[in-house]
Amino acid sequence: MNLEAAKQVFYEESEELLAAMEAALLAVETSSGTQRAEHLNAMFRAAHTIKGSAGLFDLGEMVAFTHRCESLLDRLRENELALTADLIELLFACRDHMSAMLAAVHDKRAMPYSAALEAQLDAYLNQPADSSALPPARRPEAQVERQGSGEHGVASDYWHISLRFGPDVLRNGMDPISFVRYLGSLGRIVYITTLYDALPEPDQMDAESCYLGLEIQFAAAAHVDKLAIENVFDFIRDDSNVRILPPHAHIADYVRLIKEMPEGASRLGEILVRGGALTPLELDEVLGIQREQAEAGEHRQLGELLVEERLAPPQAVEAALDKQREQVAHKTREHRAVRVDAARLDGLIDLVGELVIAGAASQLFAKQIGNATLLESLSSLSELVERIRDEALSLRMVPVGDIFSRFPRVVRDAARELGKDIQLELAGEDTELDKSMVDKLGDPLLHLVRNAIDHGIESSELRRQRGKADYGTVWLNAYHESGSVVIEVGDDGGGMQRERIRVRAIERGLLGADEVIGDQALLQMVFEPGFSTADNVTSLSGRGVGMDVVKRNIEAMKGNIEIESMPGEGTVVRLRMPLTLAIIDGFQVALGKSTFVIPLDMVLECLDLPADTVAANRHYLNLRGEVLPFLNLRQLFEVGGIAPQRQAVVVVQYGSHRAGLVVDRLEGELQAVIKPLGQLFRGVKGLAGSTILGSGAVALILDVPDLIQRAAIDEQRRLAVSSQQEAKRLSLREENTR
Amino acid sequence: MPISSAYHHDRCALHLDGPLTIYEARQSKQRLLDELNLARELDIDLAGVSEFDTAGMQILLLLKREAGRLDKPLRFLGHSKAVLAVLDLYNLAGVFGDPVVLASGDEA
Amino acid sequence: MAVADSKKTILIVDDSASLRQVVHLALVEAGYAVIEAADGFEGLARLDGRRIHLIISDVNMPNMDGIAFVRAVKQLNDYRFVPIIMLTTEAQEDKKIEGQMAGAKAWVVKPFQPEQMLRAVSKLILP
Repeated sequence: MNLEAAKQVFYEESEELLAAMEAALLAVETSSGTQRAEHLNAMFRAAHTIKGSAGLFDLGEMVAFTHRCESLLDRLRENELALTADLIELLFACRDHMSAMLAAVHDKRAMPYSAALEAQLDAYLNQPADSSALPPARRPEAQVERQGSGEHGVASDYWHISLRFGPDVLRNGMDPISFVRYLGSLGRIVYITTLYDALPEPDQMDAESCYLGLEIQFAAAAHVDKLAIENVFDFIRDDSNVRILPPHAHIADYVRLIKEMPEGASRLGEILVRGGALTPLELDEVLGIQREQAEAGEHRQLGELLVEERLAPPQAVEAALDKQREQVAHKTREHRAVRVDAARLDGLIDLVGELVIAGAASQLFAKQIGNATLLESLSSLSELVERIRDEALSLRMVPVGDIFSRFPRVVRDAARELGKDIQLELAGEDTELDKSMVDKLGDPLLHLVRNAIDHGIESSELRRQRGKADYGTVWLNAYHESGSVVIEVGDDGGGMQRERIRVRAIERGLLGADEVIGDQALLQMVFEPGFSTADNVTSLSGRGVGMDVVKRNIEAMKGNIEIESMPGEGTVVRLRMPLTLAIIDGFQVALGKSTFVIPLDMVLECLDLPADTVAANRHYLNLRGEVLPFLNLRQLFEVGGIAPQRQAVVVVQYGSHRAGLVVDRLEGELQAVIKPLGQLFRGVKGLAGSTILGSGAVALILDVPDLIQRAAIDEQRRLAVSSQQEAKRLSLREENTR
Repeated sequence: MPISSAYHHDRCALHLDGPLTIYEARQSKQRLLDELNLARELDIDLAGVSEFDTAGMQILLLLKREAGRLDKPLRFLGHSKAVLAVLDLYNLAGVFGDPVVLASGDEA
Repeated sequence: MAVADSKKTILIVDDSASLRQVVHLALVEAGYAVIEAADGFEGLARLDGRRIHLIISDVNMPNMDGIAFVRAVKQLNDYRFVPIIMLTTEAQEDKKIEGQMAGAKAWVVKPFQPEQMLRAVSKLILP
């Protein structure tokens, strides 16, 4: 770990805190009472923590700004200021400014500065409090004394430090040993006298209390001043008696010192002389003055005035603490999180992948040897490996809520900008997907959400006309479905206007003027480059990426995108993403001498290929009354040799589509570590990757979504051909009948 | 802290083993005072004192003063490094009036 | 602080991971061993019998704040005399006093430089 790494953590953590602050800001508007207090507290804590960390990295400007935010939030917390809509706006702006500052630090750019923001903050900070707040109590300072009669200084070149420790210093963990040691680091301890006169009778003595006093002659190092010496005793000054006299302090100072210490003038005087603070002559003078004053009735002992302020905690607290302690173990299990560099995680997953392969190889060899005991122990080993694999993969998984959380703010801002009333509903935030995908999904989702707000949701009047609620609803939903993660962006707006898409598609030459096209295919047109049906480009969605970029981004992650839209009722854009990219449970099949792997979670069932299907040269099966198109993989991949007598069909599903894949043999389940395709196969369609089998042989992983699409297209083409033939036949017949 | 005692006529030899700090202070104080009250002469071997703090030192100061009051010979022996460091810091080695020697392997 | 030979162990309790890391780094460089915890609950869980020579605790933390944590530590037989440094801000004089009442007599004001923390620590224990 080094400072740069810590800085990285600082960025991430600050981002999280700013996100939490934003969530609290969004929620605080509509909250009240303890809930509101909690939100304010969360915001305060965010600013407070960022300030604290920024200080560590010496980010002065950031500390100064966050400090003002913190102070403002503190005033809000204390109800000194009322939380108005303007103030909430200001806090939003402050949050954004902090975020900008953070980005500047990260990119090593100049710190942004906003005079307007600072002025607004100052205006609130200088506003008098609603209720009168008492100024914070000042701690009494240790005094360096120089007053009274006896105006001339003593001969000693050293500082003199008198300490009488409070009874609780040891119990508080403040052992005088450590302070004396620390003092030693600021110079030289010339002489030290330990006073234990206050040690009581054995039965009176509490072994945990401190009864000591110290008289120290101290030669300070060159740079050490009064304040530095005072600071040594910061932590005990409140309950101990600390007197610091500079070199050549006045006689009068020593008079006061002796007067205030509990040991008595002659005893302390003797100690001061022995330590070298006073010469015998000086002591005589001190004692003389002291006697005069004592006779004048001024004598008092400070020791008597020492106050014992701490109280034993009441029994009720004890009981409450016991309960809290019970919860400790439970709570920590819930909240403990470890930050790990993503690269290290990937490294681990790579290794686990190798482990899976090595495990499979061992099992294969064991099978060849035929040693039952070995096989048994290897099988329990592979069970463990499987569990490690699952655990390791789950480490990469993060809840999709991590992306969703930015959208309340997006929707709020966009709605304001467009003057629309829009509510956002989030569902399935706990759905997990691969971390690397989470990072890449942010922008596409942002675009889709903005689109929904801008183009989807109608104006309030139109909504009223259509008998809908005044406020529009945009929702984000995520769930798992057959080995994929589905993310939906939906709205209850006007739906996509098919006529307009059609017109635009014809304009752009994507569609013939009279061409008939399926509904889904028409909707898919919006993903064509440069396609926009918006009448006017707004500042919101008209900028930045188009839908074509969204689609490309999704497909780059091996996901796909589909649109469902009902006129007048709304639109749902559905993203279907693979769960993970590293290791899959696979189903192994063989074609001739080659082995292929089908992702297991896409496999529905396996059956024998009916002989009549082959004979009839049909390309679809009757699967319990349902037409199932199938692909002959032998043909597709041009596998040599002759097909066996009986072939098998693997029924696969992706989304709502199904297809059958015809293979030679079924070889059972395996774990496949996905490796990229070699150069040789890169251009081949229908392959998603490769994997290494336990035997060391390479197997190819099938790209099921692609194959299903192919099967569907083939089927359509064949249908089209046959209907054309049908049409030809009909027209021939017509001609004949003429 | 474990304190073992061995009697030789009226003379008691105590061996302190482990930490002598505020955490053990109450127990240690009582045990040592009891031994002092029982014995006519007391030798306390500090060679085994692994940790030592101000609370520990106050107990030794108390014992020394009590022994003086009871007029019983009390000697501290084999001061461990931990003990010596604290005595030095407080400039109290002289107060104990013993020949302060470094802990060595052989018994005093 | 007792005088002993082995390396001193410091527990730092703060919800900011970056603050923990920087302080951790500075303390380890100065020769201390360091254990981290993100809040009071976790801090208490770390007090599992091992020797701790000093605790550094933030005041403002989720779940269990610094004051409640200090009160709890003071109830634990093996840890009740461990010196505790509270991390406060200048705006929180009341919190600082509350912390002192609870038994955390030392404090460092946030934001601070690592050297400031080291100074405060070395007033209480040595590596």
